Amino acid sequence: MGEILLEVKKMNKKYGPIVALKDVDLTISRGEVHGLVGENGSGKSTITSIAAGMQPRTSGEMIFLGEEWNPSSMIEAQHNGLSMILQEANTIPGCTVAENLFAGRENEFAKWGFVNSKKMNKAADEILDKFGITHMRGKDPIDQFGFEDRKLIEIARAVDDKTEILVVDETTTALSLEGRQILYKLMDDMIKRNKAVIFISHDMDEILEKCTILTVLRDGEIRGVLNEDEIKSVQSLGTIRQLMVGRDIGDKFFRGDFDSGHLDEVALEFSNVSGPNVKEFNLQLHKGEIVGIGGLSGCGMHEVGKMGFGMENIDKGHVRSGGHEISSAKEATDNKIGYISKNRDTEALILQGSIDTNITMASLADISKAGFISPKKKAKLAKEQIDLLEIKCKSGKQWVNTLSGGNKQKVSFAKWIAKGSEIVIMDCPTRGVDIGVKQAMYELINQMKCEGKAILMISEELSELIGMSDRLIIMKDSKISKEFTRSESLSESDVIEYMI
Amino acid sequence: MKKHVSMVRFSEHISDILSYGGLVLCIVVFSILSQGRLFNAYNIKILVQAVCVYAIMAMGAIFIYSMGYMDISVGSQVGVYCILCIVVTNKTGSLLAGFLTILALSLICGLINGYVAVMLGLPSIVTSIFLMSIFGGAQLLIMEKLAINSISIEYDMTFFKSTEFMIFVIVVIALISIYLYNYTQLGEYVKSIGANELATSYSGVKTVKWKVLAYVFFGICVAVGAFMLTARTGSAGQGTGTGYAMDIMVALLLGGMPLSGGMKSKMSSSLIGSFTYVILSNGLNLAGVKVEYSYVIKAVVFLAVILVTCRKKDGVLPR
Repeated sequence: MGEILLEVKKMNKKYGPIVALKDVDLTISRGEVHGLVGENGSGKSTITSIAAGMQPRTSGEMIFLGEEWNPSSMIEAQHNGLSMILQEANTIPGCTVAENLFAGRENEFAKWGFVNSKKMNKAADEILDKFGITHMRGKDPIDQFGFEDRKLIEIARAVDDKTEILVVDETTTALSLEGRQILYKLMDDMIKRNKAVIFISHDMDEILEKCTILTVLRDGEIRGVLNEDEIKSVQSLGTIRQLMVGRDIGDKFFRGDFDSGHLDEVALEFSNVSGPNVKEFNLQLHKGEIVGIGGLSGCGMHEVGKMGFGMENIDKGHVRSGGHEISSAKEATDNKIGYISKNRDTEALILQGSIDTNITMASLADISKAGFISPKKKAKLAKEQIDLLEIKCKSGKQWVNTLSGGNKQKVSFAKWIAKGSEIVIMDCPTRGVDIGVKQAMYELINQMKCEGKAILMISEELSELIGMSDRLIIMKDSKISKEFTRSESLSESDVIEYMI
Repeated sequence: MKKHVSMVRFSEHISDILSYGGLVLCIVVFSILSQGRLFNAYNIKILVQAVCVYAIMAMGAIFIYSMGYMDISVGSQVGVYCILCIVVTNKTGSLLAGFLTILALSLICGLINGYVAVMLGLPSIVTSIFLMSIFGGAQLLIMEKLAINSISIEYDMTFFKSTEFMIFVIVVIALISIYLYNYTQLGEYVKSIGANELATSYSGVKTVKWKVLAYVFFGICVAVGAFMLTARTGSAGQGTGTGYAMDIMVALLLGGMPLSGGMKSKMSSSLIGSFTYVILSNGLNLAGVKVEYSYVIKAVVFLAVILVTCRKKDGVLPR
């Protein structure tokens, strides 16, 4: 084992009452690709973002290169040798490639306060050449490049000769095979130069192939560490999964059946719909059917969901339900369409309001009699949902901002179940929800299907799309690139191919 | 743990405690300072007359403030309504015609406040500044045309300025407001618009429609309030209505209304606040405080209330 580069001791991180990290100990040594795996929200990115100076820790200690480590910003961290490539796109629009590469380091090219852009462009070209990126030049505006190329710029920006530890946080999901090769080459190069890489990914294949040591997290705690031999062993995947989930989730995590049958009646129809970020989208959603839509985050799938609910402008084509044109949220709800937004806290919930208020928000017109809303009726409607979905709360009067993420999400589901929606469009229904609630959600969605409800599930998580959908639509660059039918043999790698 | 719970309860009800406590404090302090004159028969009549106009308009204003909006055109609206009511009544000899004229005008204002802001994509405060200027100009113009400093009503207002009638109007408007605010969609939606407009529209609520309805109801309250002011004073002039917009805002704040609106808004704020504000002004007067100092005292009280209620997280100042 090489010299220790970074040592994390008893680190804790709290967001208000929510514990994101609990007494985490982690050691990164020279020459290792240290994998971090765990479910969403298990704390992988929290650890690395604290180490990279993006946010402060609540308590604990970090030692980097033998010294106390308290970076106050990403730039400071990078300057001292700890660089991070982020999950989200993180280039600055409206600037050139070179300006993006040297963001925060302009001083190196500045004289009397003016940046010598010729010098900067030349330095940028040198870096790009070193990475084997030839189709981009320093003087090019960043906006003319796609998502993947921008990601490569980020990678090139993160690494220089001083970098001791490189954090790769779910970067590969955004990259095509070519892009991945560039990244893998860079990681190999780091190891050759006796540096270290922290590698976060959901793709188990690459984790098993690349990592020399693997730490498994769950609910902010470290649940296990696998050394190189254990990683390469045959049963490693089973061990890792068990550590990640903490219990045997069995086959019933998603739907157990592989029957893609549904009723014949069309519940919601998109015909030739075009609009912002969506081109010629066609879909017939039937009763009793779960249609999944997947793709990279800019592919237009979220817009499709909003269009189905009348909350996004349609330039061409029609969205219809039961013969009615849907062009506003009012028309959508009148036709029993419900929409669970991806942006839960801003679009789906009134955080500064009670659970009762939130659950009944869409149903007030239905329960009012000659304009009168009976408070008893309202409380009863909410209570039924609280019991049905097992929302953990003291009473319906409790404010939603005091609930956990999972229970918040249950409230936004409850709103539409209370309304009696027959068609439910859900955008990232299990985002930021812990695994127990996740399983409950999947059960609920399956039950809704069995009741003959039509479900359009838009998600960034391939596993749940494959696990739940009767039909899976993959979108790329605003268009449908592929449609899959439910089958046991469908794997994530089959699907990813059509996303990028 | 128990202590923690009681602390939570306390902070939840802090605005209630402050507003009711403030009213009680005002009553106690000024009863003593005025040596009991605060509640003699004559002064009670004065109090009711003063409260009437504030309370009626404040109850309508609750619907606007609940959405996190404010309307600063009230003052100049009141001025024009009072003058028009008198002019029309004197011309036609019918008080009803006068009242209906200002009611119609107030409904139009409600529509403008609601629709124009939405259609032009402007914040409501902008349309309300627009209306304030228009009405301010109109008020001056009308008085200039009439070529007198103040105009008096030539109709017998004895019945309409009786304390009994004023109490009757307060009660009627209060019952309507409480019903609309607590037991109908309008009330629910104005609160939820204030708390999160986007989430409200994502629940299939046509927010524009309810905004306009809220402004229309407020308009009706302003018209009724202006009518009661006309009845009380019997005359109107260039200065009529000045300061009402701010007075109502102060009254609502004293009553514990959060300026950002939302689910913490309560109809009771309008009544509690109006009484507190009127007793504060009247009490200072009775206690022999000079008018110029009473402004300073009011300002200090106002500042104190804001400091206590707004300087916490999720406070009551507008977003």
